[in-house]
Amino acid sequence: MSIHILGIRHHGPGSARSVKKALQQLQPDIILVEGPPDADVMLHYIGQEGMEPPVALLAYMPDDPQQAVFYPFAQFSPEWQAIAYAQQAAIPVRFMDLPLTHSMAMDKGEKDTPLVDQPADIEEILPSQAETEISHEDFSAKEELETGLIDTPVEHIHRDPLKYLAEAAGYQESELWWEHTFEQRQNTEESFAAIMESMQALREALPETKNKKEPLREAYMRKIIRSAQKEGFLNIAVICGAWHAPALTNLDTKKADEELLKKLPKTKVDFTWIPWTYSRLTFDSGYGAGIHSPGWYQHLWDFPQDTAVSWLAKVAALFRQKNMDTSVAHVIEAVRLADMLALLRNYPRPGLHELNEATQSVICFGDEVLLQLIRDELIVSNKLGQVPGNAPKVPLQHDFEKQQSKCRLQPKADDKVYVLDLRQPTDLDRSKLLHRLSLLDIKWGRQENVSGKGTFKEQWRLRWQPELLIKVIEMGVWGNTIEEATNQFIAHQSKEVQELSKVARLLERTIPAELPGAVDAVMNRINELASMAGDIVQLMQALPPLAYVSRYGNVRKTDLAMLSALVDSLIVRICVGLPNACYSLDEDASASMFAHISEVNNAINLLQQDAQLDLWHHTLLELSAKEHIHGLISGCACRILFDGKALPTEEMASRFSLALSTANEPGYSAAWLEGFLKSSGMILLLDDVLWNILYQWVATLDGEVFKNLLPLLRRTFSTFSPVERRKMGEKAKGLPAGQSTGFAYKHTPGFDASRAEQALPVVKMLLGM
Amino acid sequence: MSTILRAHAEHQFAEEIEEIKKVDTYQRPPNWQLSPWAVVTYLMGGKLKSGYEVSPKYIGSRRLIEIAVATLTTDRALLLYGLPGTAKSWVSEHIAAAVSGDSTLLIQGTAGTGEEAVRYGWNYARLLAEGPTVAALVITPMMRAMRDGKIARIEELTRITSDVQDTLITVLSEKTMPIPELDTEVQATKGFNVIATANNRDKGVNELSGALKRRFNTVILPVPETMQEEIDIVKRRVESLGKVLELPAEPPALQEIKRIVTIFRELRAGVTLDGKTKIKSPTGTMSTAEAISVVNSGVALAAHFGDGQLKAEDVAAGLVGSVVKDPVQDRVVWLEYLETVVKSREGWKDIYRACRDIVV
Repeated sequence: MSIHILGIRHHGPGSARSVKKALQQLQPDIILVEGPPDADVMLHYIGQEGMEPPVALLAYMPDDPQQAVFYPFAQFSPEWQAIAYAQQAAIPVRFMDLPLTHSMAMDKGEKDTPLVDQPADIEEILPSQAETEISHEDFSAKEELETGLIDTPVEHIHRDPLKYLAEAAGYQESELWWEHTFEQRQNTEESFAAIMESMQALREALPETKNKKEPLREAYMRKIIRSAQKEGFLNIAVICGAWHAPALTNLDTKKADEELLKKLPKTKVDFTWIPWTYSRLTFDSGYGAGIHSPGWYQHLWDFPQDTAVSWLAKVAALFRQKNMDTSVAHVIEAVRLADMLALLRNYPRPGLHELNEATQSVICFGDEVLLQLIRDELIVSNKLGQVPGNAPKVPLQHDFEKQQSKCRLQPKADDKVYVLDLRQPTDLDRSKLLHRLSLLDIKWGRQENVSGKGTFKEQWRLRWQPELLIKVIEMGVWGNTIEEATNQFIAHQSKEVQELSKVARLLERTIPAELPGAVDAVMNRINELASMAGDIVQLMQALPPLAYVSRYGNVRKTDLAMLSALVDSLIVRICVGLPNACYSLDEDASASMFAHISEVNNAINLLQQDAQLDLWHHTLLELSAKEHIHGLISGCACRILFDGKALPTEEMASRFSLALSTANEPGYSAAWLEGFLKSSGMILLLDDVLWNILYQWVATLDGEVFKNLLPLLRRTFSTFSPVERRKMGEKAKGLPAGQSTGFAYKHTPGFDASRAEQALPVVKMLLGM
Repeated sequence: MSTILRAHAEHQFAEEIEEIKKVDTYQRPPNWQLSPWAVVTYLMGGKLKSGYEVSPKYIGSRRLIEIAVATLTTDRALLLYGLPGTAKSWVSEHIAAAVSGDSTLLIQGTAGTGEEAVRYGWNYARLLAEGPTVAALVITPMMRAMRDGKIARIEELTRITSDVQDTLITVLSEKTMPIPELDTEVQATKGFNVIATANNRDKGVNELSGALKRRFNTVILPVPETMQEEIDIVKRRVESLGKVLELPAEPPALQEIKRIVTIFRELRAGVTLDGKTKIKSPTGTMSTAEAISVVNSGVALAAHFGDGQLKAEDVAAGLVGSVVKDPVQDRVVWLEYLETVVKSREGWKDIYRACRDIVV
């Protein structure tokens, strides 16, 4: 009877190859693989039609799907190869680790205490909150250790001790080290013995981990090996993380182990397989045992021979596909340079670093930008796995169904219209759900214009289509609950968008979904884009919706302090950049700039912040005084200043006549007047100060000049409605300036306003108001 | 002490090269005086097995220098590319000194560099007297490098007009230089290669033709990676320049250098050091060399017109001058930066005021 313990590196193609070779030599009658034993039932899906790595074994608590653990597998994962071997050879294969029903219960219990333990070797706890907590822990562990012997946190070494050894040996790539150290050996068993020995030494040298779970896990692993022995298996192969290997050699610890494993908490855990992507296998995605270059590892797995040449050929093919000329000569030179670099660095053959450097230097002409392309397409690659259709449901589906029944919204195939009153808690929940779904691109409900006024009403038209379910499953990658998935998805989306106005719209859509995390992400993105935007128009477009949200908030009480800071900085940027942006614009550009200025003005008026208003007026003052600015814009600026009482009446009058002097180009004067008076016919009738300026100016003109200016005036006044024009005529004819009716009653001598107001209620009653 | 203002690298660091030679056991490519490993050590500095300390010539990524040196052992020539002030010529001179023991085989590229400067010229007096003979040839650094198997250097390759640039193609691909007038050719000896430098922000450059580009491996020398690295470079250079110019001022306080480097790095990267605020970058390059000159002129100002201590007012003029290269666009960038970043930063009031006074 023999037990062979094969210590491996998770997701290491070298390890995977060695394991495959070792299993073929050993011919075991059972294989035990590190993983949760309560998921043994899931093993039969591997090898089924439609199962294609990368996939992940997902474990979650059905009553709290946020608590979830992923076990990703790639084709080059040694565990995957071991399981596949077992199925081919038709021998039993089992998982061997602390069952998740215990370990997740422990995690949950410890959530409240400050010391959360580290994620296990190949686990990832997805909810963003849990993730940040863990990274904090990592960080603090690191700080503590810096005073000690080594500067790598113990937990990191535990997770990938072979990488640590490779780095200690001066290799930047642990796969290269593996290959150099182990693959040249003929006897694979010997190499696993060597690993075991080095791990033994490492375990003795390193301080003990604070992770309370680790002894439990190893105890359970031993327990499972013992029970396999008991069942009469004679040739047992054990595949586990290298770190654990030495702990599994001595099995005479039955009593102590059982003592340790007594009274573990329990919870219900469900399992399923979900498709995984290579990008989520990477370290950057927050996966604890992540690797940096899954695509490269896949390549190493596929091409054990001539790795460098085939890799560079792939690179060349990618560049050609992107329409960049890449000749065979390029590839030849790149291979030579990579070889030379490896020689210079004393490596047996070039690794990914050398290949990248050679590519950058030879093919990309030193440009680093193209390397990013290689990174995205080849090194990480966006390969997406597949799972068989009969795999159990994903948690997002469960959560979706739960939300449906909570909000009492049933999926129906025909249209149903809901009018939601956001002051009601149920309706508010419904609205949140629908907004979130629409953000997730799950188009169940369509928002429609609601009749009647008020911001507390929404109207939705709901129609369920079966295809939407696929979308739900697809979105399962982003999280296990609707809320979490939306948060992650929006955060991801906001990073992709490049246009400020689009992000502003995204924010508008995100706020009603009440997702603080996503809102923060979107606002950060707006901030980022705003500071980078060279195009002032973009900023001006983004301001009004943001100002609106910031001023009125909404019925939902979102925290808007950050938004108002954002609006503030947007206004500063607009004010700094506006004068330059208005230089030498043509007719059309000026017209659209006019519209933007008016909108920004409305937004700033809406905000009612004195500091902002002062800055804005100051900018407009500068703008109106500049030359080479289209009349439309100058006029508009003057008008805004006048309305804002930032320009005294006399000053206004002199500017008015200056702009309309006959020495000016007629076109300029006309445009100026248009900008000044645009769509304010009614105001002209009612506001006597404005009226007077115009009136007096006309009165000062002598006959000849007036005749010359007439076409210009006509052009502007023709935009007013006939009724307005008629009234203006009457006003000009009837009353001398400054003595008209309307709001100027205060100027009428002998008029007692307070007495007049007493009569108003009666008048209102008579009119039925 | 010699009266030469600036000694060649191979003379200035002759002792270091000798010491490295003593411990250099790696294989040397033909006609190299050091192995590739030793060349990299010479550039990056470090302690030798013999205990001798080699001074670093290049402060930055070792990998880049490795690529550069490895390139010289292949069939391709080396093109050092990058912003002005990133030590391209410096690196090229030292590599040539370490590889061939001779950094003087230099062709300076200008808009007026002609074909005869790259290939060969004629001594016209002799040409008229004797007709085309070998003795009438004027041998260029390129030809000498080919004959002797050494490294030839071309500075500012992109400033040379395209037709002259392309005369390099035969040299780099065929490794030969035909002299049709004499019906002969000069064939390159082993060990010959070319290091060229070029600017990527320069205006009025002549882009390399595709054919020529393919004969070069390109290494882009980046701006300093970390704050500390850059402060280190600025400090060293300012101090050594101060000695040469014999400025009476006190050496600049680290504090002031740190602020200037901060401003340069932030504007260059387009984001504040804490990574929280994005900012626009000006059109200029904001290179380390410029930071050095800002500090330097500040020191000179302080020495001759101030109290000898480097203050915010002394650096403000130089600072604004190096940021605002384009009076319209850069002014906006600079104002935005002043208002959104400098103004609110603790302890930066003096520099804010000093800069504000100059701009508006």
